Amino acid sequence: MVSRDLLKQVSIFSGLSDEQLMRIANLCREVTHSKGDIIVREKESSSDLYIIREGTVEVALGTPSMPGPMPIIHLGKGQIFGEVALVDRGLRSATVNAMTDNTVLYAIGRDDFIKLCDEDTHIGYIVMGNIAADLSFKLRHYNLAWR
Amino acid sequence: MIYQVSYVVIGGKHAGTIMNQEERPEVGERVEFAGETFEIIEVLEIIPPRGDFAYLHATCKPVEG
Repeated sequence: MVSRDLLKQVSIFSGLSDEQLMRIANLCREVTHSKGDIIVREKESSSDLYIIREGTVEVALGTPSMPGPMPIIHLGKGQIFGEVALVDRGLRSATVNAMTDNTVLYAIGRDDFIKLCDEDTHIGYIVMGNIAADLSFKLRHYNLAWR
Repeated sequence: MIYQVSYVVIGGKHAGTIMNQEERPEVGERVEFAGETFEIIEVLEIIPPRGDFAYLHATCKPVEG
C-alpha cells in the first residue's frame, strides 16, 4: 500500500484531502527498475503516469542526426513523467530510463485515473491543474536552458 | 515547504535536472546531481508557490577539478 504521506510530497497532488489522497494511493502500483532499464520508449504506446519514489531517471529524445536518444533532462525524487500521454492520449514523447539501481516508481494507469477524476471531479480539477503547472514548469526549464 | 527546483547547467553538456528538496538553494552553494558537483550562480522564482510547494529555477556551472 502506498502511503498518503508520500503522495503529499508530490506536487501534482497538492491541494487534495487525506481521503482523496487515499483514493489516489489505491491506484498506485509500485515498480522497481535497475540502472539502464528502459521504462518507456519514445513513439511507443503506453498509458501509465509515473511518480519517482526513489532514484533518478533520464529523459531522452531521438534526433535524426544522432544514432541514439539525446538526454534532455534528469528527474529525481518526487517528480512525475508520462503526464503528456496521460493528457493527450498520444504516443510516448520521449524515452525514459533508470539512471540508478533501485529506482522505485509508482505507476498509475490512465484509465483508472480518468475514471477516478470522473467520479470525483474535485480530484480531477485539482490534479489536472497541477499537471498543467508541472508541464509549464518543465517548459520554463527548457526555455532557460536555451538562454 | 518543499522546493521543486529545476537546475540548468551552463558551460557543460549536462542535460539539467528537476528534483524536490527541503532546503531552498542559494547562490554560491554547491549541489551534486548525476555524479557531478555544480556551483549555483542564479536562483529565480518564476512561478508563485502553490500550496506547500515552491517552484525555483537555479542556474549553475560545473565545479572545476
